[in-house]
Amino acid sequence: MTDHPNGEGAGMPPLARLLSFIDKPHNVTRVFYLLLAVCIALGLSDFLYHKHAYFAVEEFPAIYGIFGFIAYVTVIFLAKGLRLIIKRPEDYYEPFAIDTEDERAAGSDPEATGGKPHA
Amino acid sequence: MTDANALLLALAIPAIAMFLIAASGSRPNIRDGISVAASIATFAVVLRLLESIIAGARPSVTLVEVMPGLVINFSIEPLGMLFATVASGLWIVTAIYSIGYMRGAHEKKQTRFYICFALAIAAALAIAFSGNLFTLFIFYEVLTLSTYPLVAHKETPEARAGARVYLGILMTTSILFLLVAVIWTWSLTGTMEFRAGGILEGNIDPVFVPFLLALFAFGIGKAALMPFHRWLPAAMVAPTPVSALLHAVAVVKAGVFTMLKVGTYIFGIGFLGRTGASEWLVWLAAATILIASIVALTKDDLKARLAYSTVSQLSYITLGMALANQMGVVGGAMHIVMHAMGKITLFMCAGAIYVAAHKTKVSELDGLGRKMPLTFIAFAIASFSIIGLPPFGGAWSKWYLLLSAADAGQLVIIGVLMLSSLLNVAYLLSIPARAFFSPPKDQMAHSLGAAALPSKGWEEAPLFCLVPICLTALGCIVLFFAVGGIYEYLLSIPISPETAP
Amino acid sequence: MPEIGTPALVYMIAALVVPFVRPAMLRQLLLLAVPVLGLLTFWQLPYGTYGAFNLMNMHIGLMRLDALSYVFGLIFSLAAFLALLYAWHVRDTVQQVATLLYAGAGLGAVFAADLVTLFVFWEGTALASVFLIWARRTEGAYATGMRYLIVQVGSGVILLAGIVLFYRETGSIAFSRMDLESPATWAIFLAFGIKCAFPLLHNWLQDAYPAATITGTVTLSAFTTKLAVYALARGFPGTELLIYIGATMTLFPVFFAAVENNLRRVLAYSLNNQLGFMVVGVGIGTPLALNGTVAHAFCHILYKALLFMSVGAVMYRTGTSKASELGGLYKSMPLTMIFCVVGAMSISAFPLFSGFISKSLILSASADTGHYFVWLALVVASVGVLEHSGIKIPYFTFFAHDAGHRVKEAPFHMLLAMGITAALCIGLGVFPSLLYGILPYAVDYTPYTVTHVVTQLQLLLFAGLAFAVLIRTGLYPAEIRSVNLDFDWTYRRLLPAIIGALRHVIVGTWRFGVRITMGRVDRFVAGIYRAHGPQGPLARTWPTGSMVLWIAVLLGMTLVLAYI
Repeated sequence: MTDHPNGEGAGMPPLARLLSFIDKPHNVTRVFYLLLAVCIALGLSDFLYHKHAYFAVEEFPAIYGIFGFIAYVTVIFLAKGLRLIIKRPEDYYEPFAIDTEDERAAGSDPEATGGKPHA
Repeated sequence: MTDANALLLALAIPAIAMFLIAASGSRPNIRDGISVAASIATFAVVLRLLESIIAGARPSVTLVEVMPGLVINFSIEPLGMLFATVASGLWIVTAIYSIGYMRGAHEKKQTRFYICFALAIAAALAIAFSGNLFTLFIFYEVLTLSTYPLVAHKETPEARAGARVYLGILMTTSILFLLVAVIWTWSLTGTMEFRAGGILEGNIDPVFVPFLLALFAFGIGKAALMPFHRWLPAAMVAPTPVSALLHAVAVVKAGVFTMLKVGTYIFGIGFLGRTGASEWLVWLAAATILIASIVALTKDDLKARLAYSTVSQLSYITLGMALANQMGVVGGAMHIVMHAMGKITLFMCAGAIYVAAHKTKVSELDGLGRKMPLTFIAFAIASFSIIGLPPFGGAWSKWYLLLSAADAGQLVIIGVLMLSSLLNVAYLLSIPARAFFSPPKDQMAHSLGAAALPSKGWEEAPLFCLVPICLTALGCIVLFFAVGGIYEYLLSIPISPETAP
Repeated sequence: MPEIGTPALVYMIAALVVPFVRPAMLRQLLLLAVPVLGLLTFWQLPYGTYGAFNLMNMHIGLMRLDALSYVFGLIFSLAAFLALLYAWHVRDTVQQVATLLYAGAGLGAVFAADLVTLFVFWEGTALASVFLIWARRTEGAYATGMRYLIVQVGSGVILLAGIVLFYRETGSIAFSRMDLESPATWAIFLAFGIKCAFPLLHNWLQDAYPAATITGTVTLSAFTTKLAVYALARGFPGTELLIYIGATMTLFPVFFAAVENNLRRVLAYSLNNQLGFMVVGVGIGTPLALNGTVAHAFCHILYKALLFMSVGAVMYRTGTSKASELGGLYKSMPLTMIFCVVGAMSISAFPLFSGFISKSLILSASADTGHYFVWLALVVASVGVLEHSGIKIPYFTFFAHDAGHRVKEAPFHMLLAMGITAALCIGLGVFPSLLYGILPYAVDYTPYTVTHVVTQLQLLLFAGLAFAVLIRTGLYPAEIRSVNLDFDWTYRRLLPAIIGALRHVIVGTWRFGVRITMGRVDRFVAGIYRAHGPQGPLARTWPTGSMVLWIAVLLGMTLVLAYI
């Protein structure tokens, strides 16, 4: 694919080249709107069939979608709050933990370069 | 050969071997050959006796009557037979191991070493077969004295100091407490004979039972009950085969064997259970188990760590007696076997590490597993057994001790035994784990750990050291599967007159 | 296949043989043959108890084959095969032997008909598995392995204590349904709970799994915890307490996983959360719920292994599993990416993927039995699963910002292992009857109704939309290198601090006591010496008394010196 932004498409596996369109920001936006459209369609589809519900609240259109959205955002924000309390430097448990060790010791390919060494 | 003759023969072979060893002192190969041959012959005779005992025979021989009522008598019952089998069986292993170790470590005065060794075994067998307290006491002291030169073998100031502590504590406790207890028992009952179901019931005011028990428990210093345990770590200055046989098998096991024997045949387990006289001993043994384990955790010297582990494990057996029920005796006696097999392996490994790599500290062992894989695999297997993990022998003795604690309604003791297992994991298993999986200290800079190191050749100890280690390690596994027979055998220990077979 | 009591035997024998097999290729083939042979030993056997004998008055039964153990035996064999295939490149004998022993012990435990056999194999899984962690051979892995082992052996000894008490109470060691009513059953329950990573007992999992080797973690993920789920399903079905424990388990790991940087630790939290679903199923205890637990364990082993395999493959090629160090890998490892996405969609329970057909059973069971709040918790947890396993893992590994790794695709054997696992995940999702047919109870359940499919898709896609919104607005928490505290802080930091302080106090007191005593003794001796020594006034008048006193002093000194 010659229109790849970095011009490195030729070196990629064919399968990867198929997907490389998402490297372009405007394509990401397109995917986002596609997802939005699918979601709206799914929400509207609640009017098209008889919902077999355990609870009365389930009858509300797109209730699962709304619930999912809210639950997701809540989880993320609670987790961000939690992080404020529990976050510690990576070497907190050193030397009795693997967190700052070179992860390649776990049996990586000899050619692996590893992540950035711990500061 | 009658059973009685076999009994005397079992005692005589090591005694005669002493003289032969002394006579052949100038020819090391013959001397060491005699030592091994004597051990095999002794074991063969002991096995022959074991067969008779299983078949129900109870041979008894009276040697001399010192004064009326004071006789040197040997009688065999299941418990003593068990101890004799363990001691003589592991003597073979140690005799072979000693050859490799003593030569490999260039120890001096090896003839004296082998003489005292044979004497110690003879004394241990005499303790095992002794038919009364008097005989037991005499050979108990003989064992102490005969092992003194072994402990002081290196003749360095440290060795002499350690041996002094060893002799000091064992002699002091035995004379101050054990002798008094023996005499007290004699004056109460008029006999010193070991009898099924005990001799004290009906002859002693129950109020005094705990005190008499205390005299026995502390008097038997070889059982290393706290606070009289210091001799055991002090004696670790001895050459490793000595530590292996005498401090994993003969001496310490003579102590706990005496403890079990006194509990079973002098007090009577039923009597102890009914009077609750041993309740305090349960707690003291439990405390010893935990404290010694914690101390072991802090020791960097390999043999000192093993010594404290022994102190802790011996109290399992004392605990089994003190819980005063049949499962306790079964568990305690079984632990004599299981612990002997495991601990002798550990000590022999420690010796092999010393001979091959000249390392004595736990912290120096990092990465050594790659050079001495068999030694450290054996170490790991023995550790598993002592921790009480299946499929290794120690799991069963722990199982019966737990059953005993459950029978006695002692939930806390169950907790102590559980905690002890975890402590054992921490102080024992860390040794082979570090040896195999920790990068060597001088190569810490290597970012990828030991996995990336080129593996070098093996640098194991001499074969004479290695083979016994592998045999006993294998024994730890075999004992797990062979436990059914041992259990049946141990049930034949008469617990109280009603249950005597 | 001859009857040999327990399939564990096949693994044990193989573990003894494997170290001596050369060349490497032959050894690999032998390794792969072991799970197949193991499976053949019970594949066609009629249900019943095999390898029964009497040991010291206890009725031992090595293999109880029934509907419940059969499913677990099947999936454990499959997991062992896949893990060994994935580890084809590993030449480390320690790991190969440990994998065999571990899988064998897992199978042995699942088939155990009595508690003693269960205990033996229970400890076996603990012992064998720790080598997969130590095999990393670093200081950190050693320490982590030690912590892991102590927790696992701790579970074993608690189980042992429970068994002993249970044996004394009932006179039987049969492993069957128990009630939480005595110390014995509580101890057994606690032992199961530790291995099952109940809340507050869970840290060993998140601690140890990221520390194991790449292939080791794949193996670890399959057996230990699912063995615990099996044990709970066998011993404590319908125990109400489990419902609440399980519900908690599904929820709390979600938050930790969201902010965790090490992706294998994210997966460990995710594993914990999935176990929660199974524990809820056991707690409800109806046939539908138990079916759900078994089905979920079956599917979970596969997709969790798949996720660990894909992250492992990335780690194999790049040398890191930290989200902050990864990104953009779809360009280099597109096949791995696809397998990872299959795993992610399975765990998130997208229709046509395996998680959908198993998780629904548990959710339906909880709603059917009127546990509405539990049901709600499970739905929230499902969103959480999507967050950390469904989106976070693939997104930060293969997409997000390009971290610049230009590596080769995963090795062929890894791709093969992942491919088979992915095919199974989809296959089970598309043909649920394959799995439903082997569940312990007869199933009358249709996962694919319009309502169920549409509502599930709504839940997942709207949540995905929320992720997209948060990412585009920059509100999504950034991946940063850090360690996050969890309950393990209490025993990794607090407890050592307390012990250190205690030790300080005890040693100080001891030294002080010794100094005081020695000082007293010295003064005492000096005093006696003044009075009874050669120049002392008493020496002349009472030589005998002096002798006695000297001896007493010497004896006393000997004692003191001997004991200090």
